[in-house]
Amino acid sequence: MVGDEIVLRVENIHKRYKDQEVLKGVTFEVRRGETKVIAGPSGAGKSTLLRCINLLTKPDKGRVWLEGVELTDPETNINKMRQKIGFVFQEFNLFHHLTALENVMIGLTKVKKLPKDVARKKAEEALLTVHITEDLWHKYPAQLSGGQKQRVAIARALAMDPVIILYDEPTSALDPQLVGEVLRVMEELARKGVTGLVVTHEIGFALEVADEILFMYGGRILERGPPREVVFSPKHEVTRKFFENITKLYGGK
Amino acid sequence: MGFWEEFIPLVLHGAVNTLWVLVISIPASVALAIALGSARVYGNAPIKAIATAFVVTFRGFPLVVTLFLLFFGLADLGIYLTPYQTATLAFVLCGGSYMSEYVRGAIRSIDIGQSLAARALGMTKFQELIYIILPQAIRRALPGLSNEIIYQIKYSSLAFVVGYEEIFAVSKTFISRYFMPLQVFMVDAALYLAMTTAAAYGLRALEYKLRIPGLEMSIR
Repeated sequence: MVGDEIVLRVENIHKRYKDQEVLKGVTFEVRRGETKVIAGPSGAGKSTLLRCINLLTKPDKGRVWLEGVELTDPETNINKMRQKIGFVFQEFNLFHHLTALENVMIGLTKVKKLPKDVARKKAEEALLTVHITEDLWHKYPAQLSGGQKQRVAIARALAMDPVIILYDEPTSALDPQLVGEVLRVMEELARKGVTGLVVTHEIGFALEVADEILFMYGGRILERGPPREVVFSPKHEVTRKFFENITKLYGGK
Repeated sequence: MGFWEEFIPLVLHGAVNTLWVLVISIPASVALAIALGSARVYGNAPIKAIATAFVVTFRGFPLVVTLFLLFFGLADLGIYLTPYQTATLAFVLCGGSYMSEYVRGAIRSIDIGQSLAARALGMTKFQELIYIILPQAIRRALPGLSNEIIYQIKYSSLAFVVGYEEIFAVSKTFISRYFMPLQVFMVDAALYLAMTTAAAYGLRALEYKLRIPGLEMSIR
């Protein structure tokens, strides 16, 4: 599934908040069809990095390319490029005033300007892909469980036909028994060849699905490689400690 | 002709005039409030500054001064507004400024995640405001806006100062002929109460209609 074509290139990203340097030069790339997991302790800069990719946060330095177009170029129409970057938030961030179906449709009708019937069909397909059945389409976010909300959020990203989906700790706000349904959907998408960049503590998911793990520590990628290597025989002591603790906590596979 | 035979048609004529102002001024106030409130949160620096100055000014003027300024002040500059135009415009400027603060507060109360999600989809700032933020913010602002709408119904009686023949103006003139202030003002009070009560019910019904299932505390 993984081709040679690089779809996302992140080069030397720096970000500082006041006196704290959150990102100290992060460089990596993602190939089409690939699933990459970013792991690391909290405060390592994982979420900031993800937001620097679609410029929800503006990096101080460094460049980002999506399919060869530089997002960090001030000339680039970032709104146009963001359509191609799915983003799944830890807190779901579904639009409260719209039903599940409308949440998925709004990007298609208002941003992509698709006709309503086409958008609706696309949205329904996306919802079915994440196993949100018809009985839930007209429910409002507040009427859905956490797992359902996050799956609708994934459908909202997916329906836009993104080049890549960025997941920012997509299961961290979920009750333990709801984590599985979300991870399963993410895994299915990965197997279908949807390119993904996933910040997560779910080691099981990383081991099963990821092509590579990037381990971040102190604003840098400290270590990277095939999941089994990074998790089970890391080069650095902090990496080993981190995965040891995580495995205990999450009881990885 | 007796007191009532003469007064009732007169005061009803006044009531129609009152309504005729309000039917324009209330929706226009709300529209202005949404524009000003949005501009003060979403506008760039100059737009923010203009909107803020506008609100501070028209919230800062007593309504009666605004009425006089528009009617006599503008006339001095060669711009002649009718009493109807004066009253409507003054209510919109004043009401819109007051109401804009409810809108601004409501916009600011919307979780930042809503904005992030809109931007992540590729929405422009304007699309985000129109499709995501305002539909939620207006719902939150509605109880506060209702307050101001009811105020505006009552304060429409101030239009008498520029000679607009609304309820209060016709009543005052009438009293000078019959001198039955108790009866006259009781009728006035009843008319205002009927209008404010109708508005309150209507606005509550609107609030109920716009509720988001599962999200808010019950309002019934």
